[in-house]
Amino acid sequence: MEAKGIKKNTAIWILAVLVLFVLSIILGIIMRLNQGGAVHLEPGTFYADMTVHGITMIGIWFVAGMAGVNFIMERYVKTSYWANTFALVMTVIGVVMLWVSTLIGDFHAGWTFLYPLPFKIAWSAWATPMFLWALAVLGVGWLVWVLSLMAALLKKYSISQVFAWQHFRNKNPEVETPPFVLISMVSLLGVLTCLIAAVVLLVLLFAEYYSHGTFVNDALLIKNLTYFFGHTIANEMLYLGLAIIYELFPEISGRPKWKTTWYVAIAWNLTLFFVLLAFFHHLYMDFVQPQGLQIVGQLASYLASLPSAGVTVFSVIVAVYRTKIKWSLSNLLFFIGIAGWVIGGVGAVIDATISNNFLLHNTLWVPAHFHSYNAMGNVLFSLGFFHWFSVEYSKRKGQERLSSLKLSFLLLGGIGFLAAFYVAGAESIPRRYSSYPVEFTSAKLLATLGAVFATVYLIAILLFFSSIFKRCLNMVLQRS
Amino acid sequence: MLKYGLTTFLIFVCSFIEDAVAQPAVGWQEEANINEVIYNAPLQIISGAHVSIHQLAAQNPLVVAFVFTRCSGICTPLIIQLKESLQFAPNIANKKYNVLVVSFDPRDSVKDMENMATRFNLQHEGNWEFAVTDSISRLISSVNFNPVWDEKTLQFDHDALLVGVNSQGFVTKKLLGLRNSKDIGLLINSINNVFSPTYRLPAQSNLFSCYNYNPKTGKNTPGLGMLFIALPAILSFLILIFIRLVSKSKSV
Repeated sequence: MEAKGIKKNTAIWILAVLVLFVLSIILGIIMRLNQGGAVHLEPGTFYADMTVHGITMIGIWFVAGMAGVNFIMERYVKTSYWANTFALVMTVIGVVMLWVSTLIGDFHAGWTFLYPLPFKIAWSAWATPMFLWALAVLGVGWLVWVLSLMAALLKKYSISQVFAWQHFRNKNPEVETPPFVLISMVSLLGVLTCLIAAVVLLVLLFAEYYSHGTFVNDALLIKNLTYFFGHTIANEMLYLGLAIIYELFPEISGRPKWKTTWYVAIAWNLTLFFVLLAFFHHLYMDFVQPQGLQIVGQLASYLASLPSAGVTVFSVIVAVYRTKIKWSLSNLLFFIGIAGWVIGGVGAVIDATISNNFLLHNTLWVPAHFHSYNAMGNVLFSLGFFHWFSVEYSKRKGQERLSSLKLSFLLLGGIGFLAAFYVAGAESIPRRYSSYPVEFTSAKLLATLGAVFATVYLIAILLFFSSIFKRCLNMVLQRS
Repeated sequence: MLKYGLTTFLIFVCSFIEDAVAQPAVGWQEEANINEVIYNAPLQIISGAHVSIHQLAAQNPLVVAFVFTRCSGICTPLIIQLKESLQFAPNIANKKYNVLVVSFDPRDSVKDMENMATRFNLQHEGNWEFAVTDSISRLISSVNFNPVWDEKTLQFDHDALLVGVNSQGFVTKKLLGLRNSKDIGLLINSINNVFSPTYRLPAQSNLFSCYNYNPKTGKNTPGLGMLFIALPAILSFLILIFIRLVSKSKSV
């Protein structure tokens, strides 16, 4: 019953993610149109829009990765249906609270809700506590889910096995750790860490809010904790998607399963450690942060991303180069997604280099790179999984229609949308402006172009949406 | 092959450290040398007087600005901004001060400084003094001001720095960069030994600061807040071990 339950829950996760994704894209397009001058939003409304867009996108693609990992993990260990369902219920409640606090309560401190913004009330007074409680609800649901998946893996594998340490020196160890298990565990431990950071952060924020000024926070501590949580979760959700790719890409392509080698094991162990330190690069402009931590931030940014990207790209190239591949929509999405992830990753590493950050900090280069590895990376990882899942487990099988059109729109829309960000970033156009002053001569044009291409991207997503949605809805409505 | 690859990668990563370290360490520069005595350099004032900095400060507390007359960059805006800010600075009506503009370029003569004062229409302003000194390197090192000569541009690469010195010759406050009248007001107050609250001070309501600043030693030590930053990682590894131990004991 539980395996069926996980399948049904996975279908519900997919439906929820797709609906929220489409709504969040529309919010994004409205923001770009406002920056382009085609529509007019009050600044408060723009920032409320930006807040809900950012936090929803991070949330949905995190749970999409978790749902996919949970579903595939059933191949190796037995996972908890109840933890999965609990997370689902808490996510629904949390998202409703978030949307109410921002769209009705007008809370607009941005998805990073940087201290002390949440306490500078420029919206309904109840919106601040509701926003913070929404995060708490989401955090509790996800924490339980993550702990349950970790427990499931640790029942079967010892700590050294689950992190593939036996592969460091031994080519053929007695117990082999599948890459999926290794990367899932690396990601889950990272997620656990950043969720604990979020708990500490929320406790401190609640303490200040409910003490009415008797207790005040240290701004540097809160900013460090905010990015410990925010940066780390944004990275770990990518790794969840990669765990799925390591499992499904060879399988869908008709190639032998990928194995954990010593360099794969080392690369992912480096990622496990260094991704927890990379967030310091968000504080380069905070002069009170000690210089040592700034250098740690730069080095960790390289050491967390480059080894894992290197082995993943190497594995994919070996898998596809001069070999007969059974291409389908899913593995094409995986393949393009890895390219998007790598391009965005290079953009991120450029920005994480201190000397470059002096120029690029808080310009549109920042949304350019994080939209690259999300909109054209992580989204495609999960979309590939959604498509595979819906076809594999649905009774409504049949020829996939309009595949080329979907991919063409996705590529055209995605690349155009990102190019508008990159060009603007290179021209030092600042981010987080609701509208641009005339001095930024190309800003409005680029924003409008961004909105047009994002609309093409949205059409592609709607085409995917229609086929995946129908199949998943069928699964949910099926009687067990 | 992979070993070579790894070595190359590590060299690549480490090569950027130099870049990172080479950035101006603005960090605590404004806090360096606070409550220390400024070097008592002998000055030659454009009026022809010979006086030391401490003697000048004893007459009136000083705002010291470091410039050079051939500067094509920040020196002119620094003086213009200071002149303007002093007109609008809040809460300085009854405060004493003199502005001392010292050249840190050994090539500058008294005549050059006189021309500079004329250019800014400050040559007859009573509380503005323009001067040169033959002990410039000891003076600038006593306030941690480090101009670097650039052969390509034939200019000094330097900060815009104002140093506040009280009547006893102690550095009370430093301002880096072009600052508004409010900051200049705080500087004037500080050289008159009036408390100037520029940073939020640790109080009983603030329990978890990342750093604790000791004004006596001028040093920061890690505070309880730093532990909070490390806490999530420590806790998650402990939870990992705990889960494994529990599941192991259940399976036995």
